[in-house]
Amino acid sequence: MKNASNKYLISALLIAVAFHGTSIFFTLESTYDALIHLFFADHYTNSWFEPWNYKWYTGFTVMSYPPLVHQSIAALSFIGGLKFGLFSVALIGIVLFITGVYRFSLLISSSRTIAGYASILAVFSSSFIETLHLFGQLPSIIGISILMHALPEIYLWLKTGRWRYLATSLSLIAVTVTSHHVTPIFGMVFFIFPLIGMVIIDNARESTQSFKAVTLKLFIRSFVKLFTRIVGFGVLSLLVIIICILPYWINSKNNPINQVPIPHGSRDNFLEVTSSGLVFFLIPWGILLILIPYIVYRFYSKRYLFFGLSITILFILGTGGTTPIPKLILGETAFNILTLDRFTLWASIMSLPMFGEFTYRFVEGDLKALIQSKFGAVYHRIVGGVLASSLLFMTIFTMSLGYFKPSQPQKIKMLPIVNFLNQDQHDQWRYMTLGFGDQMAWLSSQTNAMSVDGNYHSARRLPELTTRPIERLENSKFKGIEGIGSLQQFLSVPEKYNLKYIFSNDKFYDPILYFCGWQRLRQLENGIMVWEKLNVPPLSSILPKEEVDTWQKLFWGIIPFLSILVAFLLNVQAFFIRSLKTKLKPLPEYLNFRNDYSYFQKGLLKISHTWSIFFLLIVGFGIYKFYIKNDAHHSPENAILAYYDALDFKEFKKAHSIINPESHMTIAQYMLEVSVTDGLLSSYAKLDAINTEIISQTSKLATVKVNTYWITPLEKIHKIYYRSLIKISGKWYLEPEDITTDLPPDQLYTSNKTNYFNQGRRRITTEQTYHEDVLKQPVLEIIEAKLVKFNNSYAIIGEIQNIDNVPADVVLKGTLYNDDDKQLATYNAKYHVKHKLLPKEVSPFRINFEGIAWSRIKDSIPKTFNPDEFTPIELEEQPTKFNLHAAANVSGSDLFKNTSLSIINIDNNNIIGSLFNSGTEEVTIPQLLVSYYNESKDLLWVDHMFIKDGIRQQRKQRFQYPIIKKNSIRIISNDMSNCYVNGLPNKPISHKIVSDRIIDHSDKELQHINHPNYKFIKLDINTFIGNPN
Amino acid sequence: MSLKPFYISLITIVLIFTCLNIKEDKSRYTLVTKTKVYNAGDIITLEFDFNGDSDVILYCSNTYGSLILKPEIGNTLKFVIPEILSIKSGILNWELLSDSELNSGQIKIHPKNEISEIETYIGPPSIEAGGNDYTMVVALPTDKLDNPLIDGTKVSVKHQFLEIEERDMISTKHGYGYKNLYSYQKSGRMLINTECLGLNSKEFDINIVPAIPTNFTISTDRVHNYADGNQITTFRTSTIKDRYNNIVSDGTFVSFFITNKDGYKTETSGATINGVATAKVLHPDRAEEWDVKAYIEGIANSDIITISYEKAITDFKVSFSKNNRTVTVGPLQSFMNQYIPNGLNVTLKLFKKGNFEDKITAQSVDGFATFKLKKDRFPKGYYTIEIEVAGIKKSFTKISYE
Repeated sequence: MKNASNKYLISALLIAVAFHGTSIFFTLESTYDALIHLFFADHYTNSWFEPWNYKWYTGFTVMSYPPLVHQSIAALSFIGGLKFGLFSVALIGIVLFITGVYRFSLLISSSRTIAGYASILAVFSSSFIETLHLFGQLPSIIGISILMHALPEIYLWLKTGRWRYLATSLSLIAVTVTSHHVTPIFGMVFFIFPLIGMVIIDNARESTQSFKAVTLKLFIRSFVKLFTRIVGFGVLSLLVIIICILPYWINSKNNPINQVPIPHGSRDNFLEVTSSGLVFFLIPWGILLILIPYIVYRFYSKRYLFFGLSITILFILGTGGTTPIPKLILGETAFNILTLDRFTLWASIMSLPMFGEFTYRFVEGDLKALIQSKFGAVYHRIVGGVLASSLLFMTIFTMSLGYFKPSQPQKIKMLPIVNFLNQDQHDQWRYMTLGFGDQMAWLSSQTNAMSVDGNYHSARRLPELTTRPIERLENSKFKGIEGIGSLQQFLSVPEKYNLKYIFSNDKFYDPILYFCGWQRLRQLENGIMVWEKLNVPPLSSILPKEEVDTWQKLFWGIIPFLSILVAFLLNVQAFFIRSLKTKLKPLPEYLNFRNDYSYFQKGLLKISHTWSIFFLLIVGFGIYKFYIKNDAHHSPENAILAYYDALDFKEFKKAHSIINPESHMTIAQYMLEVSVTDGLLSSYAKLDAINTEIISQTSKLATVKVNTYWITPLEKIHKIYYRSLIKISGKWYLEPEDITTDLPPDQLYTSNKTNYFNQGRRRITTEQTYHEDVLKQPVLEIIEAKLVKFNNSYAIIGEIQNIDNVPADVVLKGTLYNDDDKQLATYNAKYHVKHKLLPKEVSPFRINFEGIAWSRIKDSIPKTFNPDEFTPIELEEQPTKFNLHAAANVSGSDLFKNTSLSIINIDNNNIIGSLFNSGTEEVTIPQLLVSYYNESKDLLWVDHMFIKDGIRQQRKQRFQYPIIKKNSIRIISNDMSNCYVNGLPNKPISHKIVSDRIIDHSDKELQHINHPNYKFIKLDINTFIGNPN
Repeated sequence: MSLKPFYISLITIVLIFTCLNIKEDKSRYTLVTKTKVYNAGDIITLEFDFNGDSDVILYCSNTYGSLILKPEIGNTLKFVIPEILSIKSGILNWELLSDSELNSGQIKIHPKNEISEIETYIGPPSIEAGGNDYTMVVALPTDKLDNPLIDGTKVSVKHQFLEIEERDMISTKHGYGYKNLYSYQKSGRMLINTECLGLNSKEFDINIVPAIPTNFTISTDRVHNYADGNQITTFRTSTIKDRYNNIVSDGTFVSFFITNKDGYKTETSGATINGVATAKVLHPDRAEEWDVKAYIEGIANSDIITISYEKAITDFKVSFSKNNRTVTVGPLQSFMNQYIPNGLNVTLKLFKKGNFEDKITAQSVDGFATFKLKKDRFPKGYYTIEIEVAGIKKSFTKISYE
């Protein structure tokens, strides 16, 4: 054979670099993982040898991920910045992948042409495109590429026993493991074991005439012959895997990943969750699915038998939760930790040599001849065209997926946030981002400020995070109950984490922030809203960290990077000889086992045809089902589902298209009606589930009861709609709903309000705030506080008044003690208090003692979402005493109080009333605070309710509040001796201002109710203004 | 054989020799320097006569910290106290540490006589009017080395409030002087400064805020006294003042409680501006008599006032369509026979065989409210329909549906 450059490989490399190399600039930054790797790289640029990172999760160690890729980015970043490093490493990854596929295919097929074909196909491999451009898994790509480079070396060592090959193979294994730890471990099983099998068969083949003559006996004999080399390689590579990232293994042993598994789409049942099926099965397999019979047939020929077994297992494991088999093979634990999409990736990569072989035979080999002789040349061309266009379609489809269905929010300009954090010592507190997606990692790498959250879930340490299956607090709205439940614990007790600033890129979280006592600071020029919480102490100057031995730090900083140098030195000579053809080298051993491509089995062609037709039928059926499901006018149910789905995604034009066209509602009118409704349900709700019940249906008319379940940041809402539908010329349409006709009395009206502004620092200085610029904390008075037992949970309830002359932001912190003064629990008032009080304003309050929800991993997490979920703390002993700390700070925000509340009617179960907004702001979410009293008008309980709809200016809004059922309520303590205001005892400080308080002043204004436990009730109102004027 | 006796004897021998050794080497040190009092900033040296070992150290300690000094060895041992200690006023303790004996003593360092700066602190920055609450002024006159001047230095604390300008003399003790400034009966701003040895501080200010409110009265304001469910009634307080006749701080929260004929409560609220709080409520949609009382919880309240609303709608008509499935209520006319403004709630209750079936609420548009009772919700049968508008009920029995 002529030793010429392989033009296929060269074209593959050129196309790959041109195609992937340009497109990564548009895709990589919006992938899931790329920015996380960038963040790690940033860590190494700042402290190469210090593994502790303070920026995420109150501190974590980067020894929890193999460092090579991150360190490479870091090293390159010294030349041209972090992103230069990232893209350079990605380019290297692309080149390594293409050449890796070439070498692997050459090893398998022993044909340079086939390997060339395979390398070209690798460029368009949909699984590679997905991993790079959609997932951004650089370490994974580099790991598998280097492993493919290692395979020929391993083959040669086992076959020839030359020590040089042992050294090169081990050096490449070292690079693999320092890039990605999972790849060599499973690579051992799925790539190297079959390779060993192939070497043994090849060895046995040499002693006979053909592969057919290789018998089990011969196989065993060869195995025994090669045994020392195999075992030697096995032991040494195991040692390399362990030693090269030794600190990683030590860290894993010391800090085992002891957390609730995070659901991953690759573990879904792909038939049920079709989106997961698409992303984790259809896309990575792509066109290979058509060729499955060929690939299976070829891999089950004697020489490749072990690869056949391997790819079968990989295929099955890659199907995730579709069948119970992967769970049985891997076991419960491994199944829940591993993301199974990697098996599909490996299987598809393993298929590439066979794909190359098929293409070769189809384009210029025996298959072409067979088809042309059997079906004619035209048919061959058509089939070729179909296959080629399918391949291109899959490529374009995969590439564009991130464009049409972005997995990330729009790119956020980070500079304003970075500047904000650098100003005015804002980085002395921790921050959190909401709705940033994986871009939070990019923010973290640009600032020194620390976040409570993080984006590498294996490294989470706070029990509030590890006990629930959420990756980040950041995107908690997508994680239902666990997400928001976790988030609200951070928001209610932020001082525990020194969390003061929140950057919100998603309006969805506004209500929960407001009702947890946060206030809007300002909107940055990039549109990000900054929320702050008062009364949070800054971080200590010394933070705790987990120290590791110095040798580990040195090891971690040196060995992985050294491994790449060693591998380079060992392989570079061979590489240059191979590519520059400076020296005539003997052909590698594996090229001696050439396949015979002169005869294509007719049966195989037949099976392939049958399979293709069957496959097309499945695809067609799927498309048909998809169409029926998405045709909005097909049936009343479809119309309802499509309508509410469109509303959920705010696609009002689509929603309008489902409204009865004969109702003559113009899109303008419809949009107007939608835009005037604000409130928890219309502005902050995400449709969780919907089901329909047909109440009556004739051929032309239908009435449907629609049960909708909405997730809002505050609570889960179940709302029933009764909708009428009409069928017009074969299509179902919804009748529009009535709108409120209430006419406010005034066209233009005035409202006066006192505004407050706190200068902060009056001097422009970087020094600490001057003594005289520090405002006095407003004085509060805890009018009443008691510890009660309500059913089985404990709470501190009471009333608090701002007795100062300036408005106050109120933080209430309660602690429970037992008889021996042992502290049992501590928590802050969350929803049950008006966090902002005008001078002399009173608010009832209740402090719930929440445990860390589902803190024991075994606790069954409810399947359904309920953000209002409350986990009562488990107290080991009976609380008998409490203390209460009220802290106030001057705050001029959120002081809208112009909502009046009228009770219209009370029956045994409900209070019906109406709210009226007389102010100039639109109330987005009204909240009722309901205090319950006994016969002697002693406060017993405080409850609350969010009202689903907002109140526009000068409009009224009806509400129906369900009175709580009969229950057991007991006052445990009303000893107020341990109540403190701003750190001072409550009684003396309040006595100084209000010395002769009128006790039970407005008792006459309590509303009488009929209830076995409670005789009186009082309603207070708290309002959230979503869009302040 | 046990080695214990051997060890014991060995240790004893070592100990004895050590003691002998010390006795042999006895050195003496006597302080030559006689000055015990210095001024801050002076060069301070301590000289010792000595015979014997010169390998000694001097341990010095004052408010700034502690240092260990080595001597300059000549005929005497001379220790120069470094500037960082010698510029601090107060007591400087020293100890000479040697193997044989322990000398110790004290040096007094006085601050300089000239003032360089007067540090002043005031808090809290706001106090309540009435003469009970006070703010504290703390003054620390210091020399140019940042030492507080000697105790007994006179500081004058000056303040201005309205027409009053006063000066109080205080003298420092333990390095600082303080004065409690009590509030006056009026609210306002007090400006303060301090002066010592001709040097003045910058201007400081504190706010004297009004004391807690006292009782007040309330009044109402409305366009008409009809219960049309649409216009707005405004409640207004008199100017709320504290007991010293200061208008209360802007933003003081006043809640208004309304009790209607049936004993149901309505709550509205307002915050004061120049002592007057306003709160608004919607007119009721039926004849009412309201008792209104305003509170500043636990502190002050108004008297109860009573206001009444007359019926706006006295009667209404109901018409049924041919198949009875469309019910039209109206015209709904107000006190001048004008159509009632849009949005009046009209409720329709359906009963079938005495059982409650459904309740539908519609809002009036141009004086009419329309109900469409659908076939699929209300199948064939006889129904009783009850309609309520503005507290007036009308009932229709045996309405039949096909």
